[in-house]
Amino acid sequence: MRRRRSTALIFIVLVAITGVVLSIVTDSSPELGLDLQGGASVVLQPPDGTESESIDQAIEIIRSRVDALGVAEPDIVRQGDTVLVELPGVKDQQRALDIVGQTAELRFRPVLNVLPPEGEEPEPTTTTTTTSTTTTTVAGETATTAAETTTTTTSTTTTTVPPDEIETTAPEEDTDPAVEVVLPDKDGSSRYVLGPTTVLGNAISTASAAFQGEWTVHLEMTADGIGGFNTLAGECFNRAGTCPTGLLAITLDGQVVSAPAIREATFERDQISISGGFGEGEAKDLSLVLRYGALPIQLERQDAQTVSASLGKDSLNAGLLAGAVGTALVLLYMLVYYRLLGAVVIAGLAVWGSLMWSIVSWLGATQGLALSLAGVTGIIVSIGVTGDSYIVFFERLKDEIRGGATIRTSVDRGFRHAFRTILIADTSAFIGAATLYLLTVGPVRGFAFFLGLSTILDVTVAWFFTRPLVGILARRRKFTSGSFIGVRGGAV
Amino acid sequence: MSDSTSVWHKLYNGETRISFIPRWRLWFALSGVVIAIGVASLVSQGLNLGIEFEGGVSWQVPAGDASVDGMRGAVEDAGLADATVQTVGTGSGERLRIKAELQEGQDPVEIAAAIAEEAGVDADEVTQQTVSKSWGDQITSKAQRALIVFLVLVSLYIAFRFEWKMALATLLALLHDILVTVGVYSLFSFEVTPATVIAILTILGYSIYDGIVVFDRIDENAKALAVTGDRTYSTMVNDSMNQVLMRTLNTSITALLPILSLLVLGSLVLGATTLQEFALALFIGLASGAYSSIFIASPALALLKEREERWRTVRQRVERLGGRVPAPAPVAAAPVARDADDAEEEISSIRQASREQPTARAIQARGRKKQRRR
Repeated sequence: MRRRRSTALIFIVLVAITGVVLSIVTDSSPELGLDLQGGASVVLQPPDGTESESIDQAIEIIRSRVDALGVAEPDIVRQGDTVLVELPGVKDQQRALDIVGQTAELRFRPVLNVLPPEGEEPEPTTTTTTTSTTTTTVAGETATTAAETTTTTTSTTTTTVPPDEIETTAPEEDTDPAVEVVLPDKDGSSRYVLGPTTVLGNAISTASAAFQGEWTVHLEMTADGIGGFNTLAGECFNRAGTCPTGLLAITLDGQVVSAPAIREATFERDQISISGGFGEGEAKDLSLVLRYGALPIQLERQDAQTVSASLGKDSLNAGLLAGAVGTALVLLYMLVYYRLLGAVVIAGLAVWGSLMWSIVSWLGATQGLALSLAGVTGIIVSIGVTGDSYIVFFERLKDEIRGGATIRTSVDRGFRHAFRTILIADTSAFIGAATLYLLTVGPVRGFAFFLGLSTILDVTVAWFFTRPLVGILARRRKFTSGSFIGVRGGAV
Repeated sequence: MSDSTSVWHKLYNGETRISFIPRWRLWFALSGVVIAIGVASLVSQGLNLGIEFEGGVSWQVPAGDASVDGMRGAVEDAGLADATVQTVGTGSGERLRIKAELQEGQDPVEIAAAIAEEAGVDADEVTQQTVSKSWGDQITSKAQRALIVFLVLVSLYIAFRFEWKMALATLLALLHDILVTVGVYSLFSFEVTPATVIAILTILGYSIYDGIVVFDRIDENAKALAVTGDRTYSTMVNDSMNQVLMRTLNTSITALLPILSLLVLGSLVLGATTLQEFALALFIGLASGAYSSIFIASPALALLKEREERWRTVRQRVERLGGRVPAPAPVAAAPVARDADDAEEEISSIRQASREQPTARAIQARGRKKQRRR
């Protein structure tokens, strides 16, 4: 019995120490929410009835925009139908929020020229291979032939431009479809000089990916949209001055998603396919982009917040100081009231605190869980809850001793009863926290998470730490004599 | 248990004899008055809802040299006619908080620039929040839904763990806490923010925790009482509450200490408004929760249980024998049913002893009921 006790005690203390040491070694500390370090956050919501897939696509778009902003640890999460974007520490907060909230538009633009990535000297003899692998064909044509033909086509036509001719006056931000623009492709391996266009995402009816010998994306245009598309496709097919490369780029949100070669002069509305060396993922991504382009989501800004760095710091300091003083007061009270058992509370809270710190650091590093002011409050409040558990146990212990039992047996019985109570009470608190976490949004969630976590830790520490420690103390004559817990007249 | 011992000693050893249950009318009336005032205020002036619920814009800026009036003038010049300006925090942490509803075509960023200029700080120093009306509605309805689910689940759990009458009493206490807190918020026009909602939910958690510890003891004592029948259910509840009174006081104190620290130090001195929003509601609610777990939940439970045939019978017997029947062991000092096995033995032995009279007692009970009806 006694051995088991010390095992549990050693186990939990080791876990707590390991946790703290690990977080020190890996140099991880709890990640701070933006209300504690400054930054910008926005809740974006698509209109009712938006397809779930489209929301995911919108999140992808936002993610790449945020990456371009250079925010260190952005948090872009979907909560039900809404999208929460948090940009801790971002400079120029208002501009960042404006950029994040823009609606992305899909466009078909003729490719005027293909350039190597910025700052790289073009290799004089090679042609751009990115474009040569995709091709737009009329469905029915065998895919193999199509791909082969295209390879030849593009390699002959996509002439490499000497470095001095690369200079272009075209802007690099895709704002107006009616002007020329230079845009990079997704992985940044090429840049495209793109001509003006009138064919936008709304010309698309739908798109899908299917396996027909190879992965192919089927594109279907609307009755209104096919005319404009065919005009553009015709220009590219004929290598007209507006589309000398014969490539038609599909751009979304300032990036060239794909730039297939046009293999037909005109297309039937529902007989357009894009193929050429796609993997399954690539084909599905492209069809998703096209479908999203058909119905771009107008994300509505619901709750936009900027927090200055100084306010964040002040809040953090205020929270830490208030927490420290609050904890000190609780401990002092426990020491005065419960004497030696008060020291058990201090040790228990130290273990509780170490575990909490390690878990929060770990979740911050792996899951991007940020500690917000609501979370800090949740933790401070749960210090009180944890204190409650000790009080329940100690008061029960007093009852048992007053009832005539020895301290030794009282500890076992008292703990058994108290633990039952603690378990019921913590379970109901946990039910509450879980309900809040699942059913609400925003700061309430952060609070609920930490409250739930602390109830679990409370039960854990009570079982693995408090129980064995008090049990061991009760066996030492030194502690059981006199005012062990201030119970006078108890038979020892 | 002698009379000479101090109140402190009695309290410490759970030997107080405070009449919680017999005076239930007084406690219920007290709460009734507080709730009535709150509801009246709620009907007449409603709640001061934050922008998170109503939509709108708020800014916060280090006060610098700017005064409240100066800032009001500055935002009026920027086109905000009905903005509210207030100071938060003290000393170097002093900040100005401006709240308004934007008119069509007004850009919050421009107003933020005007605010920064008035305070003499960089535009980066201005903290801004813009919330749309529809979002506020969603937050409100989500919080309401979460609250209802929370209450239902916790009631079910308590009903499952103890019994439905305890769940009902807990629910009553929780409703009491919500009404009191909302009433106080309405009466003093404190701003209701998501932090307030969180705080209220926390309080409910506390209130449940408190209630469960008391109920756990009542549950335990009730098992023994079922056998001995030496006192009425109400008396037993009252004794149980006296037994755990010190624990109730202690938990309230330990819960209160960190919250007081948050309220006084975090928000009043250091000016962290969010902390203030949390701590204020926590403080009000905790006071209400401590009150309701003692003065509402337990009396309500006693009243509910006394209606049961079994406990009514016990009450009649106790009354016939002239009040309190001497208990086999000092009631306050001994937690009965120390161990599940012990309790079982104890119960079976006493049950045999008292098996003789149940029939007679039951007949008499019915007779009395009839009399009372007339």
